[in-house]
Parts: sequence; structure tokens; C-alpha cells
Amino acid sequence: MNNIEAIIKGIDNIKPIPQVTQKVMAVAKDPLSSASDLADIIQYDSALTANLLKMCNSPFFGLSRKVDSIHQAVAYLGINQVVDMALLDLGNENLKQAQDGYDLRAGELWKHAVVSAFMAKEIANAKDLKDKDLVFTASLLKDIGKTVLSEHVGNYFDHIEKIITEQDITFREGEKQVIGIDHAELGALIAEKWNFSDRMINIIRNHHLDGGWDEEDMEIAVVYVADTLCMIMGIGVGSDGLAYRFHPKVMEKLHFRDTDIQLLMASFGEKLHEVESLVGSV
Amino acid sequence: MNIIVGVSDMKVSHDIDSVLITYSLGSCIGVSIYDPVAKVGGLLHYMLPDSNLDKGKAQKNPYMFADTGIPNLFKAAYKLGAVKQRMKVIVVGGAQVLDQKGFFNIGKRNHMALRKIFWKNKVMIDYEEVGGNVNRTIKLQVQDGVSWLKVSGQQFIKI
Repeated sequence: MNNIEAIIKGIDNIKPIPQVTQKVMAVAKDPLSSASDLADIIQYDSALTANLLKMCNSPFFGLSRKVDSIHQAVAYLGINQVVDMALLDLGNENLKQAQDGYDLRAGELWKHAVVSAFMAKEIANAKDLKDKDLVFTASLLKDIGKTVLSEHVGNYFDHIEKIITEQDITFREGEKQVIGIDHAELGALIAEKWNFSDRMINIIRNHHLDGGWDEEDMEIAVVYVADTLCMIMGIGVGSDGLAYRFHPKVMEKLHFRDTDIQLLMASFGEKLHEVESLVGSV
Repeated sequence: MNIIVGVSDMKVSHDIDSVLITYSLGSCIGVSIYDPVAKVGGLLHYMLPDSNLDKGKAQKNPYMFADTGIPNLFKAAYKLGAVKQRMKVIVVGGAQVLDQKGFFNIGKRNHMALRKIFWKNKVMIDYEEVGGNVNRTIKLQVQDGVSWLKVSGQQFIKI
């Protein structure tokens, strides 16, 4: 078995996507399903129910009264937000641990995932994109490949650092050149294993836009922008640092001026405590 | 005892057992000040250059911006007995994404805002490490002013 095969084998350690999460995603897509359909699915999974209730009651949502059933949660927060939280629970399972190879302490990758997902969704809403849920989920899970590559990337760090400076390439390109596979590609393989849509798989694979950008694809543009802003803000940034490329063209297409970017940073900077309360609640 | 300074946050201390630390600066800037006589330390982690962006946010949280955060950092240290002329000043952070040019370069603008404020107020910088594409963490021991800098992927080094 060569090196790349051995690394890909690491994907086997990632648990399959739980059935309940699959059902929740199906409900989210089905325009005919109701809030109580969603609650019915979730309430039979006690672990997910417990986590969702903890999240609902965290200061992030600022609800004035305590929520103690999933039916109430759906009624107060709406289908969309409860679906988002079920996906957060999936991210929580997989992203919470420390990623030593990337020099990320426990919870850091997770916090990056959550903040970038909420930011991406906010941008997607503001720009009224077609597929807002795709943007949220892709943002949340885009770096899941790091959980597999983390075990290996530390051994190659010095070499990657050297060539990215010499060749002016991104850290992901450095991973690809030195190790033979990179975190975005591994993330796409995990998304395939989870039977996500081709669209989602492609966004995860190309979320740094190193592979070029189809200018009509606004969803990937928003995932990219939220990721980049979180990097600038230093949220969940590890040994790969900020060694990814800035694409002014994306900002132009989204009609983002420099003040729009700063206002987004300011607004999420303010919300960081609440996001921490949300991710710390489970 | 570690006192953690979050994003858009500032802490001062004269407790000699305390260590001020701020993690993961990205394009944000960490300003550490220390008066070795009064044994007073302060650490600021600001995110954006100019409070004119949103006066309301600046009022609520002055530590978000360079122009409101930096004066407040010094004032808080003076209150604990620190004196400007004795202050050791360290500036780190202000990194940027590759090819991040012009107005979009928040890291560079954060740094320029600081230089301007320091120049106007005649503050000298004793140690500075800004820019590049790396993520930095800084800590300051209040007992003796010894400071440590960590670039992600590397160990803490004494500065």
C-alpha cells in the first residue's frame, strides 16, 4: 500500500452519516414536509434530541423561555434553523477534537466550521442565493479532510513550508505536491462516502478556488468568502496559516466592497461569544 | 494564571502571577505593553483599523478597532500605575492572505493605523513582527515582562 492509499484508508475511521441526519436532510429538501414531520424524525433519536435542546437553550438564540421538546424547538426557531442544528451536530461529532498536525487545539477547527457556516448563510440570505442550505452545510464540512490529514501533515510541515514560499503556492497546493493528496480532496472523498450531492462534493473539493472558478457559481463563491474572512479574523487558523489565495474577482462578483467585508467581520466579531456558547453547549 | 484576551478584547494586570495571552491573531494585531517598574502589563487584540466603520460598535466594544482600542489599552495601564515613558511595546500579527492587495488588505491596514497612532503619540515599538501569511499567538508574563511569540506550527519563542 503506498502512502496516499494509506492516508485515504484513514477515511474508514469516519463514521457513516447517521440515518436520522439523512432523514432530516431529506425533510429539509422536501417542500411538502411540515415542521412536525421534522420534529417526529428527530424526537426518536435521544442523543440528537438532547444536543439540539442544549443548543436551542444556549445564549446564541437568546430565547426568552426554556425549550424542552423538539416540537417546541421547531415552533420557536423554524424548520431551517433546526435542520442547521442537526447538521451542526454532525460537524460536532467529527470536528471537535484537536488536530495536532495542523497545530489546532481542541474545538478550534469546530469553531471555524460553525462561524464560517453562519457567516456563509448570512451572505447567502443577503444575496438571496438559490441554495442557502448547500452553502451552510458545505461551509460547515469543507475542512473535514483535515481530520484525516492531520495525522500526516505534521511530518511534512517543514517541506511544505519551504516549497510554498519558494513557489508562491497555497498550503493546499503544498500538501498536494509534497504528500500527494490534500485536505480538500480528502474532504470530497468523505462527502462522497456520505452520499452528498455532486454539487456539495465539488464545493468541498474546490473551496479554496485553486482549481479555477465558474463565475456563475455563487454558492461556492460565498463558501470561499466566509472561509477567507474567518482566516483573516484568525478563527480556527492552524499551521497552514493564511497561505491561501485571495480572489478579488469573487468580491467583485458578489458586489463586496472593502467596507462590506469589514462590517461582516465586525458583526461576527461581536457574535463570537454567542457562537462559543452554542458550540460549547454540546 | 492565564488571562485570555479574546478577539476584540483587552486586559491589563498588575498581578505578578498572571500571564496575559491572546491566541490566533490572523490579520488582527496584538499590542502588548509593559512597565517594568510598576510591573503592569496590558494586551490588546484588535481586529479592524478604523472605528468610523461603525461608531455604535466602537462604543460598545472599543477594542475592536485600532483607533479606539490602542488609547484605551494605554489608559487602562496608566490607571494601574504604568508610565508611558517606561513602557516596553510589542506589536505582532497583521498577517494577510496571499495576493490580498490594496483596500482589501486588512492586516496591512491594521498595521498602518497603529503606526499612525504611535507616531502621533510618540510611542516607540521595542519589538515588532507583522505581516506574512502566518498565524501568531503572544503571551506576556506580568512578573517580569518576558514575552513569548508562537507562530502556528512552531514552538513558543522568547522575544
